[in-house]
Amino acid sequence: MTMGPAPAIDGRQAAPLLRLSNIKKSFPGVDALKSVSFEIRAEEVHVILGQNGAGKSSLIKVLCGAYLADGGEMEVEGRPVAIRGPADANALGIAVIYQEFSLVPYLDIAQNIFLGREGAFSKAGFIDKAAMHAAAREVLQQLGLAYDTNTYVHDLGVAHQQMVEIAKALSQNARILVMDEPTAAISERESDRLFEVIARLKQRGVAIVYISHRMKEIMALGDRITVMRDGAVVGSFLRGEATSGELVRLMIGRSLDGMTRRAPANAGACVLSADNLRTAKLQDISLDVRAGEVVGLAGLVGSGRTEVVRAIFGVDPLAGGHIHLNGAPFTLRPDASIRAGIALLPEDRKRQGLALPLTVGDNTVAASLWRLFRYFRFIPTTARQVCDDLIARLNIATRGPGQQVHDLSGGNQQKIVLGKWLAAGARLFLLDEPTRGVDVGAKAEIYRLIDGLAKDGAAVLVISSEFPELVHLCDRAYVMRDYAIVGHLDHGDLSEKAILDLAVHP
Amino acid sequence: MTDHTADSVLRHEAIWRRIPGVVLILIAMVAWFAIGNPRFLSGDNLANLGLQASLLLMLALPMTLIILTAGLDLSVGALLGLCGVVIAALLVAGWSLIVAVGAALAVGLIIGLINGYLVSYLSLPAFVVTLGTLGISEGLALAISHGDPIGGFTPSIEAFYRSTAWGVPTPVIAAALFCGLLWLVLYRTRFGNYIFALGGNKEALHLAGVKANLVHMAVYVLCSLSVALSALLLLGRTNSAHPSVAVGMEFEAIAAVVLGGTSFEKGQGWLLGTVLGVLAITVLRNGLNVLSVEPSLQVLCVGLMLIVALLIDRGRKGEMAGAAG
Repeated sequence: MTMGPAPAIDGRQAAPLLRLSNIKKSFPGVDALKSVSFEIRAEEVHVILGQNGAGKSSLIKVLCGAYLADGGEMEVEGRPVAIRGPADANALGIAVIYQEFSLVPYLDIAQNIFLGREGAFSKAGFIDKAAMHAAAREVLQQLGLAYDTNTYVHDLGVAHQQMVEIAKALSQNARILVMDEPTAAISERESDRLFEVIARLKQRGVAIVYISHRMKEIMALGDRITVMRDGAVVGSFLRGEATSGELVRLMIGRSLDGMTRRAPANAGACVLSADNLRTAKLQDISLDVRAGEVVGLAGLVGSGRTEVVRAIFGVDPLAGGHIHLNGAPFTLRPDASIRAGIALLPEDRKRQGLALPLTVGDNTVAASLWRLFRYFRFIPTTARQVCDDLIARLNIATRGPGQQVHDLSGGNQQKIVLGKWLAAGARLFLLDEPTRGVDVGAKAEIYRLIDGLAKDGAAVLVISSEFPELVHLCDRAYVMRDYAIVGHLDHGDLSEKAILDLAVHP
Repeated sequence: MTDHTADSVLRHEAIWRRIPGVVLILIAMVAWFAIGNPRFLSGDNLANLGLQASLLLMLALPMTLIILTAGLDLSVGALLGLCGVVIAALLVAGWSLIVAVGAALAVGLIIGLINGYLVSYLSLPAFVVTLGTLGISEGLALAISHGDPIGGFTPSIEAFYRSTAWGVPTPVIAAALFCGLLWLVLYRTRFGNYIFALGGNKEALHLAGVKANLVHMAVYVLCSLSVALSALLLLGRTNSAHPSVAVGMEFEAIAAVVLGGTSFEKGQGWLLGTVLGVLAITVLRNGLNVLSVEPSLQVLCVGLMLIVALLIDRGRKGEMAGAAG
């Protein structure tokens, strides 16, 4: 082959419909997008794959004008453009089907489909309702739907709301259609219908940006697949260039190099045993955790892991099933859970686990206040002692009990959440993403702490999206998908690949 | 391909459960007062009832739009008093009625712009913002009038208030026309759609390329302007302007909206429900008057009715949730 201008893979791919170069967006404390470049071509489905927080949604919001990029260039058909607001994006033919529905509950289906575009049906300032409803029915027809367009969106189930959202985007005759997890809430039959529509739109020359973490769909639909992680593009492939396993590995990311697996524990008596738990979302969850054991709860984001610990702790009401604690039936209520020695480290540490404006001292005793009162009197010296002990024991880097938690690093904040429960005398720890957002050093320290808890005979249940972390940390693991437990891996079987095979949609 | 019929899509509710509690209360009250004193249903008393309802309607209808946007306007009572004082003072000073009403509209415009700008563009809580303009309006009214009633202006306002057309008091006709106008705006124009969207999902409105903040501000301006016009009804009723005569009317206006079934969340509401709410409050006060109950107890009864209506609606919603789950 001779050297020349970079050859196009085929003719039509020579000119991208939309090109984003080095797009940056940061929020206080987070770089949501770190120099992302991205191309969208006509007649192509471009899949973006990534975990929650990888930057997919931020990218879309920049694309549709909801966020203003901090830096970078955009081109449409080779011409530089600026998208300063949703109206600019609409004018360029970009339409978005949002994950969080952009629907108004107490407007009807037709009013929602044409929200902001009523001008097309305006007669002397008044809306021509008949024309609007006829147009709405026509759009729905394309999706094979025969809804009564006078129905309030509020009265529709989630799946139908999603279809209305899709109809709304379709009605804009968009050249670039962005779909943010469009199948998350709809049934398989409706998904199939959506895929037919996507194929038809492709033929019409529409470019589609498709976001999902369902591998089956992605492999079937994607002409081009871009993987994002931590606000950056980590790989881009044409159809057939990567297997789903490779894609998921890329999406989930770093392995824990150089860390040896924690030695398996000698499990003691059963501390927690859940039988057939059901909530509004969860289906028949059964699991048990023994004293001295670290058990993993693996699965992709949105597979129902957080809901399991919330149900065990008594935050979400049970629709069925039983929980036994140390062999005795247990009533589920957060205050009862705390007194029974159950500790919950919530996923969102800053909002649910800590009172940020309060001091280190206040936070460490927050779950054990009832121990610090005698005859209705607070005993400050005891509180001080508890706090000093914890700072020393957990090696918390702080100026002292009087410092605001707000000013501490993520790792140290997480230690305080753990310390709060240690002070409360917890014997069962439910840890939801304990190392999210902490640096590598703090991570290793949190692993040591968890190991220490188990060695002291506590029972630990760990949720993590980082599968290498679970392999490193856990004696065994349950794997979840679609709000159900789909497998159990013993210490010998526990590997990243084994978790992946169970966690990802077949 | 037509498996998604409305039947499978809708979460059906029994018809009787959809009747708001206010209708039941209204029917019960009318029956009770009519039996208690036959004079309650006399033509004179009904005309009187209509007159009393018309002023409250002028305040409660635009208040409905504001509550639909998940907002609140506490300043309407104080603003009504201020506009009354402005009109009266200018008339006494020799200005024409048109100038006086124009000045009241300007005052309404300014207060509405302050409320709307702070609530929409600066996202300040409507409760606090309008509490502030309540204080400002009441203070201005006291300053202009030196705390005294202003009387002795043109009798034409009272003449208008007392006039009738086809046997119906003119203010009632005016309020009915206003109600029809707002109904058209709310249900037949894009501005109306946007009001529901502001309360239901302001982000969606913004993403649809609509200047959501501008629309939001316009709702507050609309409310304050109609309050300014309503000052004419207030002046006609008493033939004098008292700076604090209308203080507390925001309570009845908000109560009427809530009685009518409009929610503070999600943009859920019903303009004609507010008419029913206004009627319920007016019938209650009028009926208690006819039965010679003290005015202070009347306010107590309005508050009681509000809570009872909420309990009725909540009780039946609870039944619905039970049936569904």
